[in-house]
Amino acid sequence: MEITEVLILVISFVIFIAIGVPIAFCIGLAGIITMLLSIDYLPAVTTFAQRMATGLNSFTLLAIPLFILAGQLMNTGGIANRLIEFAKVLVGRLPGGLAVVNVLANMLFGAISGSAGAAASAIGTIMHPRMKEEGYDENFSAAVNITSATTGLVIPPSNILIIYSLASGGVSIAALFLAGYLPGVLTGLALIGFATAYAYRHNYPTGEPVPLGVGIRKFLAALPSLLLLVIILGGIVAGIFTATEASGVAVIYCLVLAFIYREIKVSDLPGILIRTTLTTCIVLLMVAASIGLSWVMAYEEIPQNVSAALLTLSDSPILILLIINVILLFVGVFMDMTPAVLIFTPIFLPVVTQQLGIDPVHFGIILIVNLCVGLCTPPVGTVLFIGCSVANIKIQSVVRPLLPFFVAMIAVLLLVTYIPEISLWLPRQFGF
Amino acid sequence: MSLRNTIDRIVRWLLVVLMGGIVVDVTIQVVSRYLFQSPLSFTDELAGFLLIWVGLLGSAYAMGEKQHLAIDLISHNLSPQNRRRLDVVINAIVVLFALGVLGVGGFWLVYTSFLFGQVSAALELSLGFVYLVVPVSGLLIAYYAIDNTLTELRTATS
Repeated sequence: MEITEVLILVISFVIFIAIGVPIAFCIGLAGIITMLLSIDYLPAVTTFAQRMATGLNSFTLLAIPLFILAGQLMNTGGIANRLIEFAKVLVGRLPGGLAVVNVLANMLFGAISGSAGAAASAIGTIMHPRMKEEGYDENFSAAVNITSATTGLVIPPSNILIIYSLASGGVSIAALFLAGYLPGVLTGLALIGFATAYAYRHNYPTGEPVPLGVGIRKFLAALPSLLLLVIILGGIVAGIFTATEASGVAVIYCLVLAFIYREIKVSDLPGILIRTTLTTCIVLLMVAASIGLSWVMAYEEIPQNVSAALLTLSDSPILILLIINVILLFVGVFMDMTPAVLIFTPIFLPVVTQQLGIDPVHFGIILIVNLCVGLCTPPVGTVLFIGCSVANIKIQSVVRPLLPFFVAMIAVLLLVTYIPEISLWLPRQFGF
Repeated sequence: MSLRNTIDRIVRWLLVVLMGGIVVDVTIQVVSRYLFQSPLSFTDELAGFLLIWVGLLGSAYAMGEKQHLAIDLISHNLSPQNRRRLDVVINAIVVLFALGVLGVGGFWLVYTSFLFGQVSAALELSLGFVYLVVPVSGLLIAYYAIDNTLTELRTATS
C-alpha cells in the first residue's frame, strides 16, 4: 500500500510545517515517521542518522559555506557603493535612471554575494533614500529592489544551483552556472523594462551625463569586485578548478581585498566565521534531513508514484511542465527556496527527464526562476521581508506595486520553461 | 557564568576552529594541486569530515540562537498565552527528533562503527569519531530547545 505511505508523509509534513516546527525538523520527522511504517525503530533511526551525516560528507557541498563566507567578507557597504556608482555610469541616463541602477546593481551584487537577501539589504539601504529624494514612490522603489535582488540567485556563482546539483544527483555545476546567465539577465531586463515604462509615465528624472574620466575611475573602483566573477566563472568553466576550489579561491580573494580596503580587521574574523556558520547550518541541516528523506522516498518509491500520477493527468510535456510550474509557484509562496529545491527536485526530476526528455540542467533553471517569485510574496518571502524592512515600509503597501514585476518574472519563467535554448545555448557553446 | 553561557562559548569556539579549518584545508588543496602539482590525499577527506562536524554542531548552535527557518502561519494570530503553549509543543517536537533520531540513532551509529572498527581511507581515522558529532548535536539541540522554552516561560511569568 504505497498510497498510505505517501499520505502519511505528506500529512505529517504539512501538520509540522503548519504549526511552525523548523523546516529541517519537519523534513526529518515526516521522513522517519513514514519509515517506521516499514521497518523497526532502531535500524530506521540509525540509518537515518547515518544518511544525514554522510550526506554532509560532500566536497561539492563544501562550496556553500565558502561562498557564504566570501559573501560575508564582501558584504560591507564599500562594495555595494562601488557597484552602484559603476551601474550609474552605465545605465543612469535611462528613463527612471535610479530604478534601472537599482536593478543592475542588484544583479551584480547578487551574483557576487550569492545571496538575494544580502543584495536586497545592501543595495536597498543605499538606493532607497536616494530614490526617495529624487521623488520616486517609495513602494515602487522597494518593489524594484525586492524583485531584482532575486536575479543574483540565477546569475552565477549561485549556491542554490549547487544545492540543485546535489539534490539532482550530480548535474554538472559548471553547466548549471553557464545556463543561469541568460535567464538571469533576461529577468533583469524584463524588470528594467517595466521599471522604465513606469518611470517614463510618472516623469521620473534621468541621471546627469557622466564625463568619460569619471566613468573610467568608477569602473576601476568596481573592477576588483567584478574581477572576482571573472576569476571564479572563468576558472570553473575552463575546468581549471571545481566549484568548491573556486569558492576557496573566492574566500582568499575577498579576504585580501577586505584587508587592502581596510574594511575588516583580524579581530572581526571570529564573528564573521560564526555568522557564516549560522547561515550555512540553517541550509546544511535542511540538506542533511532531505538526504535522510530521499532515502525514505526511494525506499517507498514515492517519485515513481508521483510520476505515474502526473502522467495520468496528461502526457503532453507542455501541460505537465505547466502543472509543475503552478505547483512550484504555490509551494514557493509558502516555502523558502532551499527546502523547496531539496524536496521537489527528487520528486519532479525523474518525471521530466525520463518521461518528457527534458535536460536536467534546463529543469534546474526552471525550478530556480520559478521559486524566485515566491521569495517576493507574502506570507513567506525572505527577500520581501528584508526589502520592506530596509525601506521601512509595510508589506501590505508594497504588494500592489509588486504585481507588474510579478508579471515580468512569470513571463520570463514561461519563456525559460518553453524555450530550452535560453538555458542550454550557452553551456552547449562550452561543450556541455 | 551560567551553564548556558559556558556551553555557548565552547560551541562557538569549536565552530570558529572547524570553519577556519575548512578554509585552510581547501586552500591547501588548491595550492598543492596547482603550485606543487601533487594533490595531497587527505585534504579531500578531512574537508568532508569537518563539514559533517560544522554542519551538525552549527545546527545545534543555530537552534540555540533560534535561527532555523520555520513558517509562521498561525502563531502571530494567537494570544500571548496560546503562543507560549504552541512554542512548548514545537520545541517538544524538536526534542523528540533530536533525542529519538540524532541521539539514539547517532549513539548506535557510533557504537557499531567502533565495534566493527571502521576506519577512513586516507586519514585512517575511526569513523566512530566522525559520527560522534551526531549524538552530541542531538543532545545539544535538545538542551537548547528545552533551555529556550524554560527561559521564555520564566520571563513570561515574571
